[in-house]
Amino acid sequence: MIMRDVFVIGIGITSFTRLEYPLTEIAAYAAMMAMKDAGISKVDHLYVANMGSGRLNRQLALGSAVVDSLSLTPAGAETIENGPASGASAVKQGFLAVASGLHDVVMVAGAERMREVNPFDATDTVAMMTHPLAEYIYGVTLPSLAGMFTRLYMEKYGVTERHLAMVAVKNQDNALLNKFAHIQQKITVEGILDSPEAMTNNPFVAEPLRFFDCCPVSDGGACVILACADVAKKSKKPLVRLAGVGQATDTHCVHERKEPTDLLAVRGAAAQSLKMAGVKPSDVNVAELHDAFTILEIAQSEEVGFFKKGEGHLALEKGQTSLKGKIPINPSGGLKGRGHPVGATGVAQAYEITLQLRGEAKERQVKKARVGFTCNFGGFGNNVVCLTFMRED
Amino acid sequence: MALEIYAYKCKKCGHLHYPFRMRCKECGKNDQFEFETVPLPRKGKLLTFTYVYNLPPAYAVAKLGLGIVELENGLRITGQIQIPEPKIGMKVTGAVEAVREDEYDRRYGMVFYAA
Amino acid sequence: MATNLEKILRPVDTPLPPYPPKHMLLANGQEMVIRQVGRDEIPDILRHIYPLILVERDFYDLVSARVYAELLAYYQHRVQDEYVFVAQTDGELVAIVNGRSVNAEVGMSYHTLALRRGLRIGAHAFASKMEYHIDILKHKEVLVVAESPIGFRRWMIEYRLEKRFDIPHELGGVPSYALTKELFDGARKKLVVGRRPVPKKLLEKAQAAILPPSDPPRPPADLLAATRSKGDVTGTALMLQRWKQEGKV
Repeated sequence: MIMRDVFVIGIGITSFTRLEYPLTEIAAYAAMMAMKDAGISKVDHLYVANMGSGRLNRQLALGSAVVDSLSLTPAGAETIENGPASGASAVKQGFLAVASGLHDVVMVAGAERMREVNPFDATDTVAMMTHPLAEYIYGVTLPSLAGMFTRLYMEKYGVTERHLAMVAVKNQDNALLNKFAHIQQKITVEGILDSPEAMTNNPFVAEPLRFFDCCPVSDGGACVILACADVAKKSKKPLVRLAGVGQATDTHCVHERKEPTDLLAVRGAAAQSLKMAGVKPSDVNVAELHDAFTILEIAQSEEVGFFKKGEGHLALEKGQTSLKGKIPINPSGGLKGRGHPVGATGVAQAYEITLQLRGEAKERQVKKARVGFTCNFGGFGNNVVCLTFMRED
Repeated sequence: MALEIYAYKCKKCGHLHYPFRMRCKECGKNDQFEFETVPLPRKGKLLTFTYVYNLPPAYAVAKLGLGIVELENGLRITGQIQIPEPKIGMKVTGAVEAVREDEYDRRYGMVFYAA
Repeated sequence: MATNLEKILRPVDTPLPPYPPKHMLLANGQEMVIRQVGRDEIPDILRHIYPLILVERDFYDLVSARVYAELLAYYQHRVQDEYVFVAQTDGELVAIVNGRSVNAEVGMSYHTLALRRGLRIGAHAFASKMEYHIDILKHKEVLVVAESPIGFRRWMIEYRLEKRFDIPHELGGVPSYALTKELFDGARKKLVVGRRPVPKKLLEKAQAAILPPSDPPRPPADLLAATRSKGDVTGTALMLQRWKQEGKV
C-alpha cells in the first residue's frame, strides 16, 4: 500500500458555547483561524463535518456553503455525516485525499449549531441516529442507551456513581484551563453526589446517569489543515503527522450487540489506527476520548487498550488519566467539559492532540507528548473512527 | 385484532433477525426481502433498564421507562417498561401497545410488564 | 391631601409569615443562601436586573422587564402581598424569585430569574417559592405559568401540575396551572431541599450586601452576526441592533 505521509499544518477552533452566528460562519471562522495558523491562502479541497444542519438549521449541503464563504472556490467540497463521528470521518477523508496523492493541501472543518432549536427538539434530532423501527419509536434517546449501558457496566465491573463523578470533575477541571471550552465551571464530588441537595444539583437524566454525567449541548466549529510532506516541511511549526486512521462498525440496535458491555467498534477502530501508526496503546502519551457520557470515557479507555477490560475505573481512581497521570485523557475537557457540537467534536479532538504534540497547550500541556490518540464514537458505538498522531522530529 | 411484532427468518438458513435487515447476518446468501415473518414471543428476561427524564416533545410525561429484554427464543428487543420496581434478570411479559405519538402518527411497539 | 391619596392607592398588605432563610451546597462546592428581602433591598437588586432587559434570548428580556416591574411595584407599594427572595453565593446575586399571596388559600407564583446558569440554581429557587406557599403560607394551591418551553417542561410536566385554565394568571392573563398541596406533598423530597438554620457567618455575608452577578447573560458580542443567525438580512431581528442602526442607542 503506497501512501504518502500526511501532516497537520494548521488548526483552528471557535468557542464551544451558545453561538449567535449562522452555522456557515461558525465553520468558516474556525477555518480562517486554521488558514492563518498554517500560513496558507488556498486549499485543494474542503471536507465539512456536520450531522444535523438539515433538521436543526434548515440548511443542507453545508460544505458547498462554507467553501464559498471562505472564497476557496473552485476547490471541491463535501459534507461528511457520520453522526457524532462526522468529525473524525471527515479527517479520515482528508487523510485519504492527501495520502493517495490526489491533493496536496486539504482543509477539514467540523461545525454544528445545536442551540438554534430548543433542547427537546435537539434531543429528538440526536435520537434519530437510533434504529427507526426498534429504538426511535420507543422514545429511545442517546442518554437512555447510555443509561442502560451504564447500569450493566456497574453490575458487571463494579463501576460506581462516584467513578462517574470523578470523570466529570476531572474533565471540568481540565476545561477550566481551556478558554474555548463550553463549561467553565468547577464542580466537586461533594456538590454533585454527597451533598444533601445532590438530587437537585445533579438530577437523573437517564438513570443511573445524572446531569453532570452528560455532555452539554453546544454550538461550535473546529478545523485542521492536512498537507503532504513537501508543503509541511515549509511550516515553521513542529511537525505533527497523522500516522494512523481506523474505523469499525457494530450492530445498529444496541440490543443486538453480542455482549452489551463491549464496545467492539471502538476495539476494532483503535487497533487498526494504532497498527497503521506502528504503535501500541502503551506508547500513547495523550488521548482525547469520546465522553458524551462519563461512562464512555471509562469504557473506551479499556477498549482502546490503555487498561484491561473492567479496570478503567481503577486507573481513574489512581489518577492515571488526569493531566499529570500516566495517560492523560481529555486534557481539553473532553466532550463533558469542552462541549459537543456534534459535527465539530471529531475535528476538535484532532485540534487538541495537534496542540499537545506541538507543545502549545500551555497550562494543560501534557509533558513530552509525542504520540496522541483520538476516539470519535458515532451513534451509540456502532460506528467509531480512531486517529493516531505522532510528533515528527 | 391483536397486533404482533415480527422477527424475520432467513429463507436460506433459518436465522432469526429482529429488527429487519436486508441481508442475512448468518449466511448472507438470501435475496432481497427473502425472509419469513415470525411473531416475537412475549415472555423474556429483563437485561437492563433506565428511566429517562429528558424527553423529546412527543412525550409530555415526567419520565419514561425503557428496557432491553432477552426473549424466550434468544432474540433481544428494546421496549418500554411499565414495571414499578424493575430488577436486572426479572421475568417480564410484553404487550403490543402505542408507544409514541408524533402529532398525527401513532407508533406501536412492545411494552413490558412484570411477568 | 397627598397622604390621603397615597392611602387610597397603596394596598394594605396582609401580615404574612416571613420565609426562614436556608442554605444548600451547590454542585461547585459553594454554599448558596436563599432569603427573603424587604423593600429596602429592592434598589440593590433592580440595578442588576436592568441590563438583562436588553438580552434578547431565552426570554431573558421579557422576564427581566416583568421582574423589574414587579419588584418596582413592591418597592413603591403598588402591589398587594408580594414576596421577593434572592439566592446568593458569597453575597453574589445568582437568582431572584417572586410571587404573591392572592388570598388565604391561593398563591400566585410570578417569576424565577437565574443569573448564573449550569448549577441548577433556578431549580433550587423555584422549589423554595413552592415551599413558602404551601408549607409556610399554608396555601392550598399555587398558580404557575411559564414563559419558556424549558420552564414548562421543568415545572408543568415534571411536577404534573393541574390545569386551572378558567383562571387567567396575572402574568399576561394566560391559562394557569396549579401546584396543589397534594402534588407538593408527593414531590416533597424533590421540592423541600436545603437546610436550616443558615450558619451565622454565611447569613451575615448574604445580608451584608447583594453583590453583582459575576457572569450574567449578556447581549451577543456581534449584533449583526446575531441577526444573521436568525435568518435576517436587514439587521433588524434584534431590537438592540435595530436601535443601533437607527442611531437610537
